[in-house]
Amino acid sequence: MPTEGLDVMVEQGAPYRSGRRSAIRVLVPVGVVAVAATGIGLVPALASDSAPSLPSVTAAQLVARTLGSNVQALSGTVKLTTDLGVPTQLLGTARGLVGGRGAGGNSADPQGKLTELLGGEHTLQVAVDGPDRQRVGLVDQLSGYEVVHNGNQVWAWDSASNQAVHLTAPQHGTGQHSTGRAEQAKPLTGVPTTPQEAAQQFLTQSANTTSITVDGTASVAGQKAYQLSVKPKQSGSTIAEVRISVDADNGVPLAVVVKSTGGSTVLDTHFSSVSFAKPDAKTFQFTVPKGAKVKESGTGTGMGAEAGTHSGVNAAHGAKPGSAAPGQQDDSNVIGEGWTTVFSTKLPTVGDQAPAGLAAGTAKGRSSGAHSMGLPLNLLQSRALGKPVNGGTLISTKVLNVLITPDGRVFAGAVTLPVLQSAAGVK
Amino acid sequence: MSQAEAGVLTVVPQLPQRRTQTTVGFLALFRSELTLTFRRARTIALLGILAALPVLIGVVVKVETGGPGEGPAFIAQVSQNGLFLVFTALAVALPVFLPMTVGVVAGDSIAGEASTGTLRYLLVAPAGRTRLLAAKFTAALAFCLAATLAVALTALLTGAALFPLGQVTLLSGDTIGLAAALLRALLVAGVVAASLAGLVAIGLFVSTLTGSGIAAMATTVGLVLLVQILDTFPQLHAIQPFLFTHQWLSFSDLLRQPMHWDNVLQNLGLQALYVAVFGSAAWARFTSRDITA
Repeated sequence: MPTEGLDVMVEQGAPYRSGRRSAIRVLVPVGVVAVAATGIGLVPALASDSAPSLPSVTAAQLVARTLGSNVQALSGTVKLTTDLGVPTQLLGTARGLVGGRGAGGNSADPQGKLTELLGGEHTLQVAVDGPDRQRVGLVDQLSGYEVVHNGNQVWAWDSASNQAVHLTAPQHGTGQHSTGRAEQAKPLTGVPTTPQEAAQQFLTQSANTTSITVDGTASVAGQKAYQLSVKPKQSGSTIAEVRISVDADNGVPLAVVVKSTGGSTVLDTHFSSVSFAKPDAKTFQFTVPKGAKVKESGTGTGMGAEAGTHSGVNAAHGAKPGSAAPGQQDDSNVIGEGWTTVFSTKLPTVGDQAPAGLAAGTAKGRSSGAHSMGLPLNLLQSRALGKPVNGGTLISTKVLNVLITPDGRVFAGAVTLPVLQSAAGVK
Repeated sequence: MSQAEAGVLTVVPQLPQRRTQTTVGFLALFRSELTLTFRRARTIALLGILAALPVLIGVVVKVETGGPGEGPAFIAQVSQNGLFLVFTALAVALPVFLPMTVGVVAGDSIAGEASTGTLRYLLVAPAGRTRLLAAKFTAALAFCLAATLAVALTALLTGAALFPLGQVTLLSGDTIGLAAALLRALLVAGVVAASLAGLVAIGLFVSTLTGSGIAAMATTVGLVLLVQILDTFPQLHAIQPFLFTHQWLSFSDLLRQPMHWDNVLQNLGLQALYVAVFGSAAWARFTSRDITA
């Protein structure tokens, strides 16, 4: 800056002359930047350092407290970050396929919408009041998506298209809240969106395969919490550690972080704010917005209804040991147990086309399905996604690995390649 | 800024009187800046373009109601309720049109005066550079508000003329009355106008660096585009939360029930930060530079 002190302008009361003065002035914006930078850098550091001191508990006590948590009502905001390393174009195709099948192309279909959660950062507004009333709102930029479950009614509404899906859940099914095991049998519907759902999946693992320890305390969403560290005992899993923060008072999981063996965080879901007060009953009343195109899905016994309920969003998830195969079908198999579970299935052949892509396992010969299957097929053929390995083509993400054998069999799991190869019988 | 005031105050002994004079002087200066800004044919033309935008969008949506989910934001809502045209128009105008006009006004504020040679006469008057800068900044902020309201009001009128009004369905699926929705529209317009404050400060700073009005305008508008491009690279994930455009579209979070304030507050905080940094930089530059033109 030219600050030679040659100012010709002399204002009344404020002569501008010295270079020293202008040098001091330059320090002001520099100081503002410094203060802002320290503020931004220090505040989160200080916040995360403040680990509350809590009476010590054993891991078994804490797990029991978490799984037996009788908190019926809560509401809050959940921040969800997923980074599975799945190429976005594949996710998009999967969404198209899954959504297309689920509700005849209705963009409000929960399954297709929840596939979006597999990548990136998302904010969810969650309200729960017992097993019969839940609401999850996806806070997207410039749009919103709501799933409301009240008694036997399940509504899903997508603001961007003003389309809704309505399901009447069977009475007996509505009572079931997520209890990991019940979800084991469910096919892919999305990701475990809230910390509760994610935690329940990991904590219901068998003790033979999993080590659970208490590892310090943390403060999550202003609540004091214990940290549980869940690690696989078996080798061959791509998941290194799952950290679960459990509310010290009531055992509600407040945060779940999944780390891969590569060291990166593949899933981070945590409450940024949480309240255990009973949400307003109005929250769970959903009236069809004006002009909305409603798709009636009848009695939702399948995944649609499940996805609508609080427990449903929880079902299977790529990172979850014990259910990692997209598009399970009747001819699918489960090989192994615990963290090194491998799913196998056979790719359907559409017409006389070559075996189609990963997501194509769901297509049932609908013309639209066949049409949109072109993308994964091409991707595979171009080797953009797949990498030739001994025994077939490997599609590798940060956690989930998929092996496609030349004869069209697919082996998938949150496991390393050798485990997949041994499951496929490759020598 | 307090340093400058202190510098001024040490010279003049009568402290309270001086302070009232400062306020009065600032208001007079602000008023003259305001008239200067809004009397210009250029400003009126800019506002006219902004006002024409919602009309265009409204007519297009009315004539061509395409497939669901295609087109600008809230397209599915607009055909149900004309009030949503306000939000569609703001979402369309915010990334490009609004910052362009704001960049013109803010970028030209000092540099334009310098290039036409009027700046030295302005400074001959016993106004003080700090006060002049503050008046310029406030006038540019007033333009932000005027520009946003120009978009919002014409959008509201167009929406009311072309589409039904009445109960408004929010993005969370809840329905609120028209009066409550109008209040929200006002709130959204205020937030959108405030979102441009950081850009005003940047424009003002750029404007103090150069004697060419066109250069300052082009730089400011170019910066807006550059920053928005940077915001799209996944590789720059770490710095994106600190880009001043990053949370611009978060105003839609106010259209939920309950309102989701996190991103909006983050946006406003970011704007305040940019105003502090670039405002002080502009002040440091403007109060110490040689005015030769």
